[in-house]
Amino acid sequence: MRPSFFHHLHPPTIPARQARLRYTWGAGGFSVFLLLAVIFSGLLEVFFYVPTPEQAPLSIQSLTFLIPYGGFVRNLHYWSAQLLVLAAGLHLVRVIFTGAYAPPRRFNYLLGIGLFVALLLLDFTGYILRWDQDVQWALVTGTNLLKSIPGIGQWLYALVTGGDRLGAVTLIRFYGWHIFGLMLPAVIIGVWHLFRVRRDGGIAVPPPAQRQDAERINRTELVRREALAALFGAAGLVFLAAFFPAPLAAPIGEPDAAKQAALAPWFFLWVQQMLRWGDPFLFGVLIPVGWLALLALLPYFTPAPSAVELGRWFPPSGRAAQLIFSALAVTVLVFSLWAWLAAA
Amino acid sequence: MQRTRLVASILLLAAMAISIWRVETAPQPVPLAPTLTRQTEYCLTCHSELAEISPSHPIETFGCVICHGGERLALDADLAHSSLRGGRNPSDFSVVQESCGGEDCHSGSAAQARDHIPRVLRSIQATYAGAIANMRYTFGAQEDLSARMGIFAIQDPNPTSSSVPGLSAFDPSQETHPSLIAFSQNCLSCHLSSEPLPGKEYARLTGCAACHTPTAGTDLEQPLHRLTTAIPYTQCNTCHNRGNYELRSMHFQARSDQPTNRLDDYYQPIAQFVRCEWTLDCIDCHTRQEAMGDGHIYSSQKEAEYVRCYTCHGTLDELPLTRTISDPNDLALRLAFVNPQFDLQVGDTIIITDRGEPLWNTRRLPDGSYELLAKASGQRFTFRAVKGSACQQSAEQQESSYCHACHAVER
Amino acid sequence: MPAMPSSDNLPTTPVNRRDFLALATRGVLALNGLLGVGMLLRFLSHPPAPSSANEVDLGPASNFPIGSQTVMAQANLVLLHTEAGFQALSLECPHLGCLLNPEPGGFSCPCHGSRFDSSGALLRGPASKNLKPLSIEQNHEGHLIVRY
Repeated sequence: MRPSFFHHLHPPTIPARQARLRYTWGAGGFSVFLLLAVIFSGLLEVFFYVPTPEQAPLSIQSLTFLIPYGGFVRNLHYWSAQLLVLAAGLHLVRVIFTGAYAPPRRFNYLLGIGLFVALLLLDFTGYILRWDQDVQWALVTGTNLLKSIPGIGQWLYALVTGGDRLGAVTLIRFYGWHIFGLMLPAVIIGVWHLFRVRRDGGIAVPPPAQRQDAERINRTELVRREALAALFGAAGLVFLAAFFPAPLAAPIGEPDAAKQAALAPWFFLWVQQMLRWGDPFLFGVLIPVGWLALLALLPYFTPAPSAVELGRWFPPSGRAAQLIFSALAVTVLVFSLWAWLAAA
Repeated sequence: MQRTRLVASILLLAAMAISIWRVETAPQPVPLAPTLTRQTEYCLTCHSELAEISPSHPIETFGCVICHGGERLALDADLAHSSLRGGRNPSDFSVVQESCGGEDCHSGSAAQARDHIPRVLRSIQATYAGAIANMRYTFGAQEDLSARMGIFAIQDPNPTSSSVPGLSAFDPSQETHPSLIAFSQNCLSCHLSSEPLPGKEYARLTGCAACHTPTAGTDLEQPLHRLTTAIPYTQCNTCHNRGNYELRSMHFQARSDQPTNRLDDYYQPIAQFVRCEWTLDCIDCHTRQEAMGDGHIYSSQKEAEYVRCYTCHGTLDELPLTRTISDPNDLALRLAFVNPQFDLQVGDTIIITDRGEPLWNTRRLPDGSYELLAKASGQRFTFRAVKGSACQQSAEQQESSYCHACHAVER
Repeated sequence: MPAMPSSDNLPTTPVNRRDFLALATRGVLALNGLLGVGMLLRFLSHPPAPSSANEVDLGPASNFPIGSQTVMAQANLVLLHTEAGFQALSLECPHLGCLLNPEPGGFSCPCHGSRFDSSGALLRGPASKNLKPLSIEQNHEGHLIVRY
């Protein structure tokens, strides 16, 4: 069989261990699949979404309820976006706990962190595009957080919201960021990230001389496995989209029957919990950014696992990074759960 | 591997088939573009069975959203109903201005008698000002019986010499006398903003619908999509004639009899009344200004209620006041139009009250007697004036108790 | 296609198990693709919301004496009152919809040069039709109402 375009995206052969599900979880691959799904469904949504404050929530209602398969497309977009954050997060967990962040993959690790931030911002801007009562306080507090930054706060606020208050200009800016300003860098960094995987010697395994199993698989087999994973992923996504509708609330400004506790989007619940404790700049900006910086710099100040330890989980020489990351991750999980329980 | 791939593609096929099945078998959206809003709404997708609320509010003209709010495009019940005005009852006073108000609707000009909402908000049934003033005076919280507080704060920009310019909101937390605190806890269940007491005999909604949506004797659960001006006495009785407030314990004592007929049901056992008072419905004699206010704030029911026996029957010296309808836009014709059982015409002579309100359901007949249509039951009655009869009641003594002395019904 | 060797008396199967699975997989995937395309077509061919009929009140009929010809810019029409009654003509060019300019003796199109006389009859192409008459009636207050 002549290799196709998709085969050519892969190396002719790779060590079998690089493609072992229990080693990689396939999390990076699933992220690529979900990114494609989210872009495709998002493109379809662009045909019907009207980015003005009056029309935005109504056009989403119209998409969801009146356009055949509109609700399905929206659910697909929603679920692939949520699962993308989850898959990228699991990919990060895998990379940390297998020591794959160490040189020569240090720079690609930074690209990955950048991608993860872009995904969170994409998810957040997409959430805001609903422009309904469920998102209004996330929008208000999220943008006011920018104001709390000394010196450049006002400038940043004006940059993001397009004025001194939230309105039509804000919505169109979020729309612009969502479909273009964040999407484009995410795709470019994503491609770069994939390219660097190959450039850095493929998925982290020990060098050939120190490998215990010499087994290799060719790209036909690799593409076959990827296609199979994509099929299962697609089936799962379609099931989710068929049965679990994406959330939607009444438009901002209409009377709301019962004021429920306003909950941040799930990936920012931990920040919301910290914001209950006081100073918005400290808890809403400094600590999350510091958390992110610590995460990004992990490979730069913790000892790197030796090459021979790669290709398996929890290499002993990566303990420092594993512990710091665990502490950060557990804190985020506990705070998120705390915020969620406090509201429920 | 090959088999797994087949399984995966069959799984995907199943997921696709389920998605398609769910979309294609979902109910087809039913659009409605009411002529007043020209904005398509899809409420009828689910609510096609609901009866039209009244002939005056045809669905092709009004649709649903103009009164109820809600999400007109949403086909998910929770979302569609999440922004309903006043929940199931858009006429609740917290939202009545948005739901029923507007210059073309029920808060229009006073001159055309279309200002129902501003009037009813100042009426004694809404403010409960009389009861509050009475209790506060009785327990030493104010020096006289004039009203100072209502269920909510309300102003009257043009008070008369006998009315009150404004009320502040009655705040039980500011009261010190234990009886007033008990009053606020136990006795504020019969104004137009309060939820009814539990029980079918108290079943009513709030706001306009408290009276205009007949609910008496129901459990308030079934669809109540109706507005009417033909309000039967049973609806009034969800508040009135249900019992008494006991001043010492500050508790409501429900009446203990369990009447099965209209004669016993209409009034409490201690009440005295004549035949027309229980064969007719309350609204056959009591006017809209009495029930819904005249736009001013009063301290007592006594100042709002003014229709008496003589309004229809006159006195020994005087015939009842009447007016011959000449203007096709006459208020009486507009009111009669809403109740098509009565074919009031230009040229008819109707009885009017001392304050000039038309009793549009009456008509003077050629032989000098009068006829009255019972608005709710549709029965027709004829009656004569007192003048020229054997009655000996002096023209100065026209309280109902004087009439009851001779004409009261035994039960 | 290599057929599996089989025992002498049994008929040979033209496809082996592996090929059958591959074929079935392809069939199911093709069906999936077809369904997806069907969903996509349904999604994209959703009819736009019907625009409700537009009504314009031109004011009391008595404002327009017999023989008058009035361009109503706010409604993009010209109102003619002749012996035969009122007539409203759309000022959208029947060619490609540009708004016509009034000129002595008729109307001209700024886009492609079509011309019409003052009664709306076509004088010169590229348009091929006369100006479109709009439905007009008087309401109970004597106002002229145009619908389009």
